[in-house]
Amino acid sequence: MPHVDLPAIIQAYNDAVFDTDKDQAFQIVDAALAQGLCPEDVVFKVVIPAVEDMMSRITQDPDANLAQHFMTAQIAAEVTEKMLPLFRAPPERIGRAVIGTASGDLHSLGKRIVMGCLKSLMVDVTDLGVNVPAERFVDEAVRLDARVIAISAMMVHTATGEQGSLRVRQLLRERGLEERIRIVVGGAPYRYDPELYRQVGADAWAPDGVSAGKVIADLVRGRPPTP
Amino acid sequence: MTPLEILAAAVTGAPAPRIPVFCNLLDQGARELGLSQRDYYARGERVAEGQLRMMRRYGYDNVWSLFYVGKEAELLGCREILFNDTGTPNVADFVIRDWDDIPRLEIPPDITAHPAWAETATCLDILRREVGATHPICAYVTASTTLPVLLMGMEKWLELLLSGPAGLRDELLAKCAELTRQELAAYRAAGANVLVYSTPFGSTRFVGHKRFQTFSMPWMKRDLEGVPRAGLVYYCGMTDFNDVIPQVMDELGITVHYLGPGADLAQAKAMIGGRGLTCGVLDDIQLIHWTPRETREQVRRMCQTGMPGGHFLFGTGVMPMAIPEANIRAMLDAAFEFGRYEGPP
Repeated sequence: MPHVDLPAIIQAYNDAVFDTDKDQAFQIVDAALAQGLCPEDVVFKVVIPAVEDMMSRITQDPDANLAQHFMTAQIAAEVTEKMLPLFRAPPERIGRAVIGTASGDLHSLGKRIVMGCLKSLMVDVTDLGVNVPAERFVDEAVRLDARVIAISAMMVHTATGEQGSLRVRQLLRERGLEERIRIVVGGAPYRYDPELYRQVGADAWAPDGVSAGKVIADLVRGRPPTP
Repeated sequence: MTPLEILAAAVTGAPAPRIPVFCNLLDQGARELGLSQRDYYARGERVAEGQLRMMRRYGYDNVWSLFYVGKEAELLGCREILFNDTGTPNVADFVIRDWDDIPRLEIPPDITAHPAWAETATCLDILRREVGATHPICAYVTASTTLPVLLMGMEKWLELLLSGPAGLRDELLAKCAELTRQELAAYRAAGANVLVYSTPFGSTRFVGHKRFQTFSMPWMKRDLEGVPRAGLVYYCGMTDFNDVIPQVMDELGITVHYLGPGADLAQAKAMIGGRGLTCGVLDDIQLIHWTPRETREQVRRMCQTGMPGGHFLFGTGVMPMAIPEANIRAMLDAAFEFGRYEGPP
């Protein structure tokens, strides 16, 4: 078996992701497979650590930017989807989350970034779309046995509105589901007011889509979130 | 001095009794007139009346001709806006649903002849007649690099920008730049004298330094070809852009900068100095929950940081409808109180 230089692969892949160069990232993955790296290691030793590396870079690097968030999630999701059919055995899934934008909100970018990260983190995620009524969030979470309802809101009135997270919290309380299902929120208003998530009844929030993936994965596992 | 003269003094550094105080209570105009947002934004005279009433009630210096940001998409065929009486309207109908729509996208040869411009023109006509001689009239024009977000959504635009065919991307941007140039000219001709050039992709927080140089800056130059710089304001949609301020001043010739609320105000002021105008922006989402006392303290700090040496304006960001009236008053009272110059700035 040819020599696999895992540290060099990880470094090259991370650099490609940081440069938002999807083609380069896929070339590195293909070359790694050709060298003999197994698909499982591509996902668990290269892709997932790269998502985590990006989370720390985002908070430390002054040049971290939205394009990187987007491409980190895109590349991670696409590589993971490409690798999964090649696994020797289906990977263990952590659990399920449902995600959508709050009632009245049509901004879908944040949701997509989060979904990309969740796929690579082995969380099953169901996309409920945009402008999702609170009742549908809860109904679908129950139907799919999801542990987390993730609500993205890019505007103040959709983040704080009575038909958004506040209503989801009320429904969970009325139906006795608060211990079983957690609420995670994200979007611009929460970045400007980091205490806002408490006021809308959420259990946790994240400042960006990549970090949100980790927060949601932690809650799906039943752990306290570590953004 | 009139508010218009105070603004001019702030830009040039001439003596003035106080700083300009700008505010944007857009959707609040509908509530003021007792109308739904759909009805309010349907008629230019209603928007003008709403803006005039808000300015007179609170006493700030400017009026806005902006309806909602998605109005620009209507000029290119958007047929549905999602209105909500508690917040900002959204584009609900994307003109570009897939990449094949890009070659078919047509920019009107004269946007002022387009039906979607008519109510904007009516609004501007009233504002110019009522306060044009004394008050700044603001217009909002989206940069070519950001306009695709209104036409196809952020997701599809980032896909095209970051990993799509460059030729198709440039074809779309060339069309958007044409609209941006037309809008800047049309607003100026209609009486707007503060043109807010909204360019979130002109912040490295969106695209990073490398892409700012190779993508954002060239397209911003194209947007502004032949556009007079007087009255032009660089704004990145609540995002910080301190690191590119010197380059924007040198290469784009824009000297008025409307900062993000999280920006290092002292740093920006040091970079802009006497060459232009630093517009400090309050983090007004927090106004929803601050007490009036906290609000007053935040405004005091901003003025203390921004005012020395003059060339400073107090401004607001998104002003959500959920902000209590007491905090709007506390903010503006504080801006007028702490924004006074006792002697030369």
